[in-house]
Amino acid sequence: MYNIMLVEDSIEIRTELSNVLIKEGYKVTALTEFINLPELILSTQPNLLLLDINLPGVDGFTLCTEIRRSSNVPIIFVTSRNSEIDELMSITLGGDDFITKPYNIAVLLARIAALLKRAYSQTASGDVVKHGGVELHLLSSRMEYDSKSIELTKNELKILHYLMIKKGTIVSRSDIIEHLWDSEMFVDDNTLSVNITRIRNKLESLGITNYIQTKRGQGYMV
Amino acid sequence: MRLDLFLRDKSSSILLNIFCSIFLAIILFSLGNPTEIVILIFLVWHMILITFYSVHYISRRKYFDNILKNASDSEKKYLISEIIEPPRYVDSITYYTLLKMANKSMLEEITMIKNDRKEYKEYVEQWVHEIKTPISAIKLSGENNKSEVTRLILSELERIDHYVEQALFYARSEHVENDYLIKECSLATSVHSVLVENKQMFIKNKIKVELKGLEKTVYSDHKWVEFILNELLMNSIKYRSDQSPCINIYAEDKKNGVMLVIEDNGIGISSHELPRLFDKGYTGNKGRQFKKSTGIGLYLCKKMCEKLGLLIEIQSKEHEYTKVIIFFPKGRLVKL
Repeated sequence: MYNIMLVEDSIEIRTELSNVLIKEGYKVTALTEFINLPELILSTQPNLLLLDINLPGVDGFTLCTEIRRSSNVPIIFVTSRNSEIDELMSITLGGDDFITKPYNIAVLLARIAALLKRAYSQTASGDVVKHGGVELHLLSSRMEYDSKSIELTKNELKILHYLMIKKGTIVSRSDIIEHLWDSEMFVDDNTLSVNITRIRNKLESLGITNYIQTKRGQGYMV
Repeated sequence: MRLDLFLRDKSSSILLNIFCSIFLAIILFSLGNPTEIVILIFLVWHMILITFYSVHYISRRKYFDNILKNASDSEKKYLISEIIEPPRYVDSITYYTLLKMANKSMLEEITMIKNDRKEYKEYVEQWVHEIKTPISAIKLSGENNKSEVTRLILSELERIDHYVEQALFYARSEHVENDYLIKECSLATSVHSVLVENKQMFIKNKIKVELKGLEKTVYSDHKWVEFILNELLMNSIKYRSDQSPCINIYAEDKKNGVMLVIEDNGIGISSHELPRLFDKGYTGNKGRQFKKSTGIGLYLCKKMCEKLGLLIEIQSKEHEYTKVIIFFPKGRLVKL
């Protein structure tokens, strides 16, 4: 489990961000004081650092420079400053990424995941997602069942993937639409219905019925 | 300096001279001087008078023409009192001193206003950064506790965020050169990030978005481009039609650059309002009906496009469509 250290002075953001990250399955160390950070990092050894630039007393740039003297931990700057100069400073001082407030959670999580993957060269797991006998091959955009296989379009793949990640829970239509928007698919309500129908047809052609259940007024579930 | 005005100015002394010369002639006559002598004295008197005023007029005209020329040549005309030489004439010296005084107090006034503006700008920038922390916090807790209520809050928050961003860019737009970095930027990335930023509003209003051919790179400052796109999309959302609203975003390669088009099927703009769209504070009929228009968005867009060296144009037909075209020139130095 990756340990993410939050260096952020606003309590509200710290709490909510911790919640998000814990929900995503990360371990979170949220700092409440911002002294002796380099020593703290050496002793805690977090896998990633989310660093705010405006902090009481010291600023993130100074901290980053200090940290870089002793550690190579991946650093994402999270800040409300958004000028090019700040971005440039962040990167030249050794930051790995730069995200401005108010950030989109999906984007932040994606950046964290990408950076962790790059830094710790984790093998590309999650290429195949399985649930209820159905195998979803993400890289080749196929779905396999009973050694039969069928191609999926980009939208269908994303929708089915999202449902399968959230298996066992009801996913509302708006959640699916929002998820698709975050991953560069701009679908409306009708398109979603059409896609769900197509997925069901494809599932049926593989011989599976009722794989995606409709929960009236709530959403879908696999 | 015009001759007639000069003569009118000197009319009293000229009249006095004529009167005195006639008076002298009469006295000389009555004392029994011969007519030739009287005429000679009269002529000499006026010869001297004319010569005196001619020299006077020419030298003054030269002086003032010189000042006027200097003034019209210089770019900052309010600094004229610094470059003109002190005059030689007593009455002009007073004016010269007055001009100096007025100028000095004007410069002080300007410096004061400039400082005020700078402070205000810094305050606005500071304020924007401060306000972003609570916005982030609300956004995070909203996304952590998804429900219909938070969805509504989030979509309203997107609007707050947009206005905050607008304030920041307005404050900065005076001095774009301070934070402005031209680099390669991908249209697809910029459009995508703007769309995601406003996703709640698109989803809430059931707006269909179609993208085509955006995989192109242009040279510009992506933050400013995204701000412009954001303003344009907000307009498309605000002035959408009730039936199946749809926004088409596509890019095309042109001879000297790339053309980005944002087209919606919204309520459109009537043709007589088109020429004034980019004016500051212009809201138009629709704007007044909707009462949410500030008339700032498009003005800022235009201003930024000018600073970034982009061309922006709006075509529209009422009740049918609005089409905004942004042209990114290629291979030319961008005007700062």
